[in-house]
Amino acid sequence: MSTLETVIQVLNGVCGAEEGEITSDLDLFEEGLLDSFGTIQLLMELEERFGVSLEIGEISCQLIATPEKIAQLIREAQA
Amino acid sequence: MLVLEKLREHGEKGRIALVNREKQLTYQELDMRSDAFAAWLLATLGEDRTPVVLYGEKEMDFLCCLLGTLKSGRAYVPIDRAVPRERATRILEEVHPKVIVDFGGLSPQTEAQVLDPSKVAELLTRPLEVPVPRERWVHGEDVVYILFTSGSTGTPKGVPITVSNLENFYWGLLPWYPKEEGGVILHQISYSFDVSGCAVYVGLARGMTLFTVDKEMTREYEELFAQLGRSGLTLWASTPSFAELCIQSGLFQEALLPNLRQFLFCGEVLTHTLCDALAHRFPRAQVINTYGPTEATVLVTAVEVTDRMREDDSRSIPIGRAIPGVQLRLEDKDGTLIPGDGREGQLVILGPSVGPGYFGRPDLTEKSFFQDLVTGLRGYRTGDLCYRAGELYYYCGRADNQLKLNGFRVEVEDVEQNLQKLPNVSRVAVVPVREGEKVQYLAAFLLLQVPDGLTPLKRSIQLKRQASALLPDYMIPRKFFAVDAFPLNVNGKVDKKELARRLQEGEV
Repeated sequence: MSTLETVIQVLNGVCGAEEGEITSDLDLFEEGLLDSFGTIQLLMELEERFGVSLEIGEISCQLIATPEKIAQLIREAQA
Repeated sequence: MLVLEKLREHGEKGRIALVNREKQLTYQELDMRSDAFAAWLLATLGEDRTPVVLYGEKEMDFLCCLLGTLKSGRAYVPIDRAVPRERATRILEEVHPKVIVDFGGLSPQTEAQVLDPSKVAELLTRPLEVPVPRERWVHGEDVVYILFTSGSTGTPKGVPITVSNLENFYWGLLPWYPKEEGGVILHQISYSFDVSGCAVYVGLARGMTLFTVDKEMTREYEELFAQLGRSGLTLWASTPSFAELCIQSGLFQEALLPNLRQFLFCGEVLTHTLCDALAHRFPRAQVINTYGPTEATVLVTAVEVTDRMREDDSRSIPIGRAIPGVQLRLEDKDGTLIPGDGREGQLVILGPSVGPGYFGRPDLTEKSFFQDLVTGLRGYRTGDLCYRAGELYYYCGRADNQLKLNGFRVEVEDVEQNLQKLPNVSRVAVVPVREGEKVQYLAAFLLLQVPDGLTPLKRSIQLKRQASALLPDYMIPRKFFAVDAFPLNVNGKVDKKELARRLQEGEV
């Protein structure tokens, strides 16, 4: 599974969506899918799934606005 | 009222009352601006003492208007801008205010005078020849604020609190504050939630600087931590949820807040996990846990969390012992006193912290408030289940459907009643999803009137949009599931345990 696919899978769980509904360029904040506590849950699950450490103090909503941007962030954290 | 009396004294010492990003307000400015607002209210309303509604968030002038209202001898009703128009309107209909200060663009349809931010700014700078005399200030049994909390009928209920209630709160909490005046206290909690009183009523009386963290800041963690790093915080007062959010960042540690000596928690369950993390990240800071319902003025118990409490996983972190002036007892279901240790019962609060009751609701007041015949003290039955071990009380849960979600008090029925109003919704069951000791989020199960042909995500987005017209964000469920039928329990009621199980097992 690609990084993006895994990110979308995690998001499905956090947002209660079905497979195929969350697209790579969906704006998660615009659509009201994530609030601050949802964001924390998402970041914690991403850390667990990818075995990376994400520093929330350095993450802005802009950086994680879409699944594609999140995948990019994960790839950078893995590098 | 002490906080009003002390403004001038702190002003003369050149202290700073409030910081919001790059802006700051001195005690002297706060004193003068609140005086100007009080003078305007007195001139405009005369002897009419109807409460003043303050709608907004953490605007600097909010605090000036709040204290100014009190100096004019009136109570204020704070409504957070997170509260949508429909819900705010219902509060206005109960209060019938003559003046509404509108920082949040509510623009209500009303006969009251509505002051927008620029009008307020103008009023607050009007020069005053003599300060408003103390005799005009609120005192004794006068109401200071009316807070509207989630009510199980779907309509918020008002809780008034008096000057003498707040006096007991002040003296009860004081021993937990630094002995020296001054310092910087976190000001993150909304004015419409009474725990903000730790900053407003004790912090300001002690000459502390209120360091503002508003909603905008908590949305951008980068900004939040940059601000915290510049704050010089000495006392952290918040709900555990906010600290839990911060602790997800590795930056949240002593190096970021080198002056921090105390954490004061209120408003929901404090977990061992958070206490452990704080002990590790802030080895020099004391952690204080407290408990109290809005009806009995912010908090009525407190305790310093010791290493032993933190390490003892066999029981929860205690909510503490009664603060001075407060008496506590436990009652069983028929109101019989429970003596001794270890047995669970409803916590009953007695003493001068207990408020007068519910605003305009003698029926509700009579159910929970009473005058104790033996002691002559005013009492309040909390609906919270606790047990005792020596002087310490331990929280066990609610006797009803009220819960704490990210620090907010929420009645499950309130959420249900409001979701029920949405177009195409026929029936709703809201289920709290728990993880360990805490409610993580709400999930809503819905019967639709007609199939909507939407995918779950699209439906969820649509329902959240619709719900945001009726409910504040924190009351809107994170997940929505359309079902064909509800599982029923033996009594023929919706089986919420079964719904919770399906969620947990991923069967939705």
